[in-house]
Amino acid sequence: MLNTTGIQKAALMASKPKPQLLHTIAGTAVQSSAKRARTLSTQSSMKDAFAKYADYLNDLNEKRERVVKASRDITMNSKKVIFQVHRISKQNKEEVLEKAEKDLGDVATRHVSRLVKELQGTDFWKLRRAYSPGVQEYVEAATLCKFCKTGTLLSLDEINAALLPLSDPSLEPLQINNLDYLLGLADLTGELMRLAIGRISDGELDYAEKICHFVRDIYRELTLLVPHMDDTSDMKMKMDTMLQSVMKIENACFSVHVRGSEYMPLLGSDDPGSFLSGVPDIEL
Amino acid sequence: MNSALRNACFIFSHSLNPTPNPNAFPLILYLHSLQSIAVSRLPLRISRQEEPYRSAGASSFSSSSSMAGTDAEAPASSSLVEKQFEHFRSQLQDSGSLRDRIRSVAMEIESSTRLMQASLLLVHQSRFIPEVLEKPKAQVGLLKSLYKQLAEILRESPGLYYRYHGDWRSETQTAVSLLAFIHWLETGELLLHPEAEEKLGLNESDFSMDVEDYLIGICFMSNELPRYVVNQVTVGDYDCPRKVLKFFTDLHAAFRMLNLRNDFLRKKFDGMKYDLRRVEEVYYDVKIRGLSATRD
Repeated sequence: MLNTTGIQKAALMASKPKPQLLHTIAGTAVQSSAKRARTLSTQSSMKDAFAKYADYLNDLNEKRERVVKASRDITMNSKKVIFQVHRISKQNKEEVLEKAEKDLGDVATRHVSRLVKELQGTDFWKLRRAYSPGVQEYVEAATLCKFCKTGTLLSLDEINAALLPLSDPSLEPLQINNLDYLLGLADLTGELMRLAIGRISDGELDYAEKICHFVRDIYRELTLLVPHMDDTSDMKMKMDTMLQSVMKIENACFSVHVRGSEYMPLLGSDDPGSFLSGVPDIEL
Repeated sequence: MNSALRNACFIFSHSLNPTPNPNAFPLILYLHSLQSIAVSRLPLRISRQEEPYRSAGASSFSSSSSMAGTDAEAPASSSLVEKQFEHFRSQLQDSGSLRDRIRSVAMEIESSTRLMQASLLLVHQSRFIPEVLEKPKAQVGLLKSLYKQLAEILRESPGLYYRYHGDWRSETQTAVSLLAFIHWLETGELLLHPEAEEKLGLNESDFSMDVEDYLIGICFMSNELPRYVVNQVTVGDYDCPRKVLKFFTDLHAAFRMLNLRNDFLRKKFDGMKYDLRRVEEVYYDVKIRGLSATRD
């Protein structure tokens, strides 16, 4: 008996299915025949049941893996769109944004569309953690493009309307939920901060101020929503970062205003109303 | 900057501006910048008042401002923005109140399982007698009705099962572990997933039991086994370790068929082998002293 226990332990530690299985069969063999019949059936029903659970878990994990991959691709390509937007300058606004929008469209058709058939029914919420980062990044890229083009906020309804044609009619369409939209919006401020700094160094101060107003509006609106979000800790962290971004933009605007007055006499302008008169007019 | 100073600057620069004087030029510039800072911190209303002055004084501004949408658009779009956020707020408040309802049922489930657990602890204090199970089993009916309530709440918002799943999942795991333990004490067999669903009345509705919750519940149940074995041996049931070990070995083997992710279930499963080893040790201790009624 000592020996058996030894084998058991060895089997347990080695964690290989085979010795364990052998042991189990050996263990049953020593029992009375009546008992053996009963336990064998128990054992096999347990095995059958667990085979089902194994299938379920395998399917789920594979699906999750596909969703994660799609989400990563969405993130990566949305990031590229955002970088494209940052290449904006006074002269090339149109073409830069045109390319950014085209790339954004590609992200939707090539990668966001992969999520549609994976997230049918309850899987939409079940796998949310797997796809949420990608969707947030997509929201960020889409809202950034829209803001640069029109100076307005792209609403969730507009994004979702754009996603409708991705799925064929037999499937329920993928509609971004308001939580991911808001989380993406919180990230947007970081990008707008970069954009504002870039615009300031390019001399487009008014544009930077526009961004400043816009970001403040978003921050103010989101402040009211934070306590109602499902996962407040994540959002709270983003709000802190957001406030930092807002302040960075404000400080940059402030510095330019203050220092602008120092630089003006040097530029030799005689137009007192425009302290940016040294900078050529913005061409559109 | 306090508001008095801000207003002063604002008025001062306005009064100076209509007659631009080359001598006052640096002062005006300075005030201009101060004023713009002040304006940027004031509500939108004032910056709009400033608009005619701006376009008259600085022509470069009006062309640059159209890059980020014209000022005329601003009030319309900002009210749209406000509207959208208003909508979000009401949506989130709705889902928040739904969550509160779910939480309150989940708390009742929790207190019910706690009662069950407390009365089930009696199995450790004496040799196993079926009467001990009467009290915990009496709770099952209540649990069933609570899960029915939960299913009804969720029926109002189809597809959102997993949005709120976190609010009842640990309660469900505990419920499964208790039900499975009772079932095992009664029959010596494992409570399977469909059986667990049936006990909680979840088999017919679309509100089902998540398989992972079930498996985690089974892991919780197995945590109970070493203690049970030790106490049964103490009160003189020397055959108990053999039965438990047999069941537990099978269960552990079955669990190893699963390909687990690096998640909570995996962690619980990894812990299971220590419980199994403890049961083996008890079996060994009993066996080596010849206490068990040996048949081999």
